[in-house]
Amino acid sequence: MAATGKPILEARALGLKFGAVEALKDVSVRVEAGSVHALIGPNGAGKSSLLNCLSGFYHPWTGAVLFEGRDISATQPPERARLGIGRTFQGIQTYPSMTARENILSGFHIRMRGGVFAGLFRTPASVRQEEEMTARAEAIIDFLELEQDRHRVVGDMSYGLRKRVDLGRALALDPKVLVMDEPMAGMSPEEKGDLARFILDIRDHFGIPVVLVEHDMDVVMDISDRVTVLEFGHVIADGSPAEVTRDPRVIAAYLGGDAATEDAA
Amino acid sequence: MRPTGIWFSSFAAEARTLDTRRSRIWLAIGLAALVVLPLAGAPRLIGEMTNLYISLIAVCGLYVTVGMAGQINIAQSAFVGVGAFTTAKLSNLGVPVWIVIPAAALVTGGFSVLFALPAARVKGFYLALTTLAAQVMFPIVILALPMSWLGGLVGMPVMPPMLFGLNLGTPTGLYFLGLIFAALAVWTTYNLQASRIGRAFRAVHDNDSAAGVMGIPVTRIKIEAFFAGALYAGVAGAILAYMLQFVTVSSFTLFASVWYLGMLIVGGLHSPLGPILGVVFVTLAQDGLHNIGNAILQSGSGLGGGAVFAASSVVLGLCILAALIFEPRGLAHIWHQLMTAFRLWPFPQN
Repeated sequence: MAATGKPILEARALGLKFGAVEALKDVSVRVEAGSVHALIGPNGAGKSSLLNCLSGFYHPWTGAVLFEGRDISATQPPERARLGIGRTFQGIQTYPSMTARENILSGFHIRMRGGVFAGLFRTPASVRQEEEMTARAEAIIDFLELEQDRHRVVGDMSYGLRKRVDLGRALALDPKVLVMDEPMAGMSPEEKGDLARFILDIRDHFGIPVVLVEHDMDVVMDISDRVTVLEFGHVIADGSPAEVTRDPRVIAAYLGGDAATEDAA
Repeated sequence: MRPTGIWFSSFAAEARTLDTRRSRIWLAIGLAALVVLPLAGAPRLIGEMTNLYISLIAVCGLYVTVGMAGQINIAQSAFVGVGAFTTAKLSNLGVPVWIVIPAAALVTGGFSVLFALPAARVKGFYLALTTLAAQVMFPIVILALPMSWLGGLVGMPVMPPMLFGLNLGTPTGLYFLGLIFAALAVWTTYNLQASRIGRAFRAVHDNDSAAGVMGIPVTRIKIEAFFAGALYAGVAGAILAYMLQFVTVSSFTLFASVWYLGMLIVGGLHSPLGPILGVVFVTLAQDGLHNIGNAILQSGSGLGGGAVFAASSVVLGLCILAALIFEPRGLAHIWHQLMTAFRLWPFPQN
């Protein structure tokens, strides 16, 4: 899939420290419209720190996060959601006491109107809006094939289904870019296959670029348009999956080969 | 789970609380029975039922704050007190009942925001202590204010509620006032559960950091949860004030706050059915134990009134403990399971 070349989300020379540990050092990443962009690297390379800088959990010490060319480094997570950065989480971060559909509907919070009194008295406007949003939630349920489980409480669901509900909730934000933190971790091969298909459909049918951190190299190499490799808080390679797999520093980082490191240096 | 053969042709029909004809008929029968009850019932029963309605309104509010939004509140009785004192003050100024009740709700809501502000910063156990401070400060503040404001130590008389020249201050009048507002409380609680703001409350309860990333302003939502819950407390306080005809700080104790919380926990924290079942069950249990206690007192067993009162509190406390241990999801969960089993019969559940 050809990327258009226009960056939608950009990290520019990010630096982040936790005490003496430099989690990120001069990290720059450009996520282009219409692409699946993977961030990979060994444990502790700074992938999750970078992701958290993009979604507003962490604020970088130096550098800037740009969204559609605008500096958003100082904004908080709810504001980034309003701007159009959707996010799914590592592990399970759905709302367990709510049904699948309610989880997805809660993602529409920023698109809906009405406060405490509209909720208490079920005003005609809130009923109309509820109906309209339920129809939109059903479209997401349809896309993610969750029809059988729409009224099930998420706390009773399997891991793979919960991850799918998490994705549905992020899609309800109507995001301009989707940030996914280890979406495949802990999934069975079948669940991974399903999710990979959903990610490609999100890119192709919804036109939403996806940034993901992932450990499963087969998946990453199969679905990504671009891969950025991090090690010890640095970017060591950036390019197409084929380019990255040939890079000696990447091979060294993953295989720990000394010879390769010396070659690259 | 809905039984087979029930289907809907629009999302609005599906979203209705009373989604089937049968449920609407049952509700109508139940309400009709409650409406004719004062014609048949003894004065004592009418008084008991009015008390039950007042507790139900307060516990519905607690369900919103604690059950939906997960913000622990052990000051609901103080909030009921704010509603009661507002009612006393306004009724003495000659304000009619149909303004007093909404005004009491709004004043209590506004007051709760003051104590909700710490909820923006603290969670769980620490929030419990903050609301405890609200409960403890309530009598201190009332007593410290000049006598002419809220009556101080003596308390304040409450003028009877008059509507179109009709005195609602009679036991029957208060019964219907309580019934109408209890029905309104239950209706609004169900509405809130399935609304944008109710989902935001529940999202913050379940996972507040994920809720923030989903664009939900967590701090604001927590404060609104206190505000919404206190609206109910204000209404409960207004009706209680009209019933007592005289309000003093000693009517709004930590003890009552803990009982409201106990009723909610016994009933269940995850369904609007929880407050209803909890209030009915605990009120019946309190009443039953009270009767047993009286019987013991009169049987000449030599036990004093103090001992019997203490024993009934201990038994009720054990009920709550048992509910927490055996079914932390409350009576509402047991009810839903029974309904599912009934619909699936003769097939086993799961």
